[in-house]
Amino acid sequence: MEDGFETVALTGNPNAGKTTLFNALTGSTAKVGNYAGVTVEVKTGHTFTPHGRKLQVIDLPGCYSLEGGSPDQQVARRTLLGEIEGSKRPDLAICVVDASNLERHLILAMEIMEIGIPVILALNMVDLAERSGLRLDPQKISEELGIPVVPMQANSGKGIIELKQAIQHPIPPTASTPWTSKDDPAAARRKTAYAICEIAARRPTTHTTTLSDKLDALFLHPILGWFFLIGIMLAVFWSIFSWAGIPMGWIESAQGWLERLVENAMAEGDLRDLITGGIIGGVGSVIVFLPQILMLFFFIGLLESSGYMARAAYIMDGLMSKVGLSGKAFLPLLSSFACAIPGVMATRTIDSAKERLVTIFVAPWMSCSARLPVYLLLVPMLLGGSEGGLTQALVLTAIYVLGTLTAFIAAKILRRRLGPDEGVHHFILELPPYRAPQWSYIFRHVADRGWAFVRKAGTVILGLMILLWAAQTYPKTDSEDPAEQLDHSIVGRISHVIEPVVRPMGFDGRTGTAILTSFAAREVFVGSMAQLFHVDESDDDAETRSNLRQTLAQQTWPDGSPMFTPLTVISLLIFYIYALQCLPTSAVVARESGSWKWAVGQFFFMSIFAAAASLTVYQVGSLLRF
Amino acid sequence: MPQALTNDLETDSLQSLAQATVGCDFHIRMLEGPACDQLRRLGFCETMQVRKLANGRNMICTVCGTRMALSRDLADQVKVSPIFP
Repeated sequence: MEDGFETVALTGNPNAGKTTLFNALTGSTAKVGNYAGVTVEVKTGHTFTPHGRKLQVIDLPGCYSLEGGSPDQQVARRTLLGEIEGSKRPDLAICVVDASNLERHLILAMEIMEIGIPVILALNMVDLAERSGLRLDPQKISEELGIPVVPMQANSGKGIIELKQAIQHPIPPTASTPWTSKDDPAAARRKTAYAICEIAARRPTTHTTTLSDKLDALFLHPILGWFFLIGIMLAVFWSIFSWAGIPMGWIESAQGWLERLVENAMAEGDLRDLITGGIIGGVGSVIVFLPQILMLFFFIGLLESSGYMARAAYIMDGLMSKVGLSGKAFLPLLSSFACAIPGVMATRTIDSAKERLVTIFVAPWMSCSARLPVYLLLVPMLLGGSEGGLTQALVLTAIYVLGTLTAFIAAKILRRRLGPDEGVHHFILELPPYRAPQWSYIFRHVADRGWAFVRKAGTVILGLMILLWAAQTYPKTDSEDPAEQLDHSIVGRISHVIEPVVRPMGFDGRTGTAILTSFAAREVFVGSMAQLFHVDESDDDAETRSNLRQTLAQQTWPDGSPMFTPLTVISLLIFYIYALQCLPTSAVVARESGSWKWAVGQFFFMSIFAAAASLTVYQVGSLLRF
Repeated sequence: MPQALTNDLETDSLQSLAQATVGCDFHIRMLEGPACDQLRRLGFCETMQVRKLANGRNMICTVCGTRMALSRDLADQVKVSPIFP
């Protein structure tokens, strides 16, 4: 926490709208979703009161109570109690409560008042509460609790000014807590909260069927629910595979135009080769997959924001229990399809420590977006070279299913080895009402992820591409034959060393070198292959990618047999499904599991498993003359 | 009728949320089991009204205006009595 500013903590039950309010107050773009547990760590930002006073705002993970709970909830409790080293207790707490659910949410606000922190109650989502027939009286709640109460709709910005006005300076002292009881404090709080709700938040006596009821009858149906889940996942992958072709074409056209520009402006030589072949060609071959990655994040954002994600967790709980996990592990695993890093962090919502460790261990086997460029290059090779269509979407889905199934089997074995939990953990999950997606946040989140990908392409991938170009250009020979030049270069020499290792998996030395370069970042594989196999760039939209496939398809072994047979492509795909080639993920795993041993063990296990699986597939396939 | 006997009869007539009929409203009368505190924190408290929405491996119900999915083990610890219209 920074000194000099007063600190305002945003706290409340999970899925009450804290992060939405945090973003509205601070102008941040922190991720929001419509399910409990989106925020798993403390986020900070700044805001100003109407009088111009700067305040530090901290967004805490949701918690039901200041007692116990999962790791993310403990972070919230410890921050409020001032137990986090290097940070002071907040000067003020804005307790964000869901107006539809005051009986439960008020209890946390009362607990915070009891520990001596001044509280403002942000009565969020009043529109939804009143639409459900709840008769709210914010003035009465304020009188009963003795604290300011601000009705608001954080997602549309309503009530933000009133909330800022309520943050007075100097911050008033803590309100009295007359309900406090030494015998049974929890019961005393509940009794007071219910009494307040009786007079200030009265519910309709009759149950009216809502849209969420009607949708849940379909989405949570024991049979239809599975059809919807599978259908939605299939539609997502099909859309990614089919719709992204147009923007990919634009990127390729821009790349071709840029290369021609450099070729026309510069004299022939190593520098021109570096810029066109190394930088533009290498980085461009990775950037071209940006549309698919953006679409994947968009669809996951849509599922989170609409409220469907929690339903998917409910549907999956039965299946997950068969491998020793609960439905709660499904949300981190599904997030890992976009990126394993937020997925690993999202495991903080899991109560059981052993289940959490197992989920962290298997999360990287959920095929993340960085693998997508590799799959998108290889899958069409398997199906005859053309791009798009339902068959390829089905193959892509099968790849994702294979990674997931293997993760489940590994989870089952690991869960059994770790033994039973010390305490009993039951499945309990809040199913938020369905809401219209918050488009602005989805698009901002997608833009953030897209920028992160572009930044990575401009730094790590660019660096690797330059190194790779240099390694295959130097030392030079007098020969004009590119094959001889490559053979003489550093890459050629590395290839010779690697080839005996990767040959039993069906790969030559160049493919082995491309795999080696992708241990820093998986997506580098595509650019490395394009460079190592000297692929010609083209003006046509899909032609460059198609050129790489054609070039690979034309490669032969010294005996004249084709190098990239369907079996080789499958072997390569298998390797990329299982290998853990992401250093940032290993760093996050070390942090979340509290041990580098766990992260290093995971890296070696997954790398060896990937190589063994690839080897087995290739050797068995060869024996069967596949 | 003595008070103690009335209480016994009332307790005997209670059913667990796991046994309760789908689509009906109930009053939560008692919480019995090791997860009582966890349930109370989530809004399953004595005197609250609960509506059971679905059966299965995990029950779905509405309590305090929130839809919750909870395991059969937990639902067994919530003792309810029906609300007659």
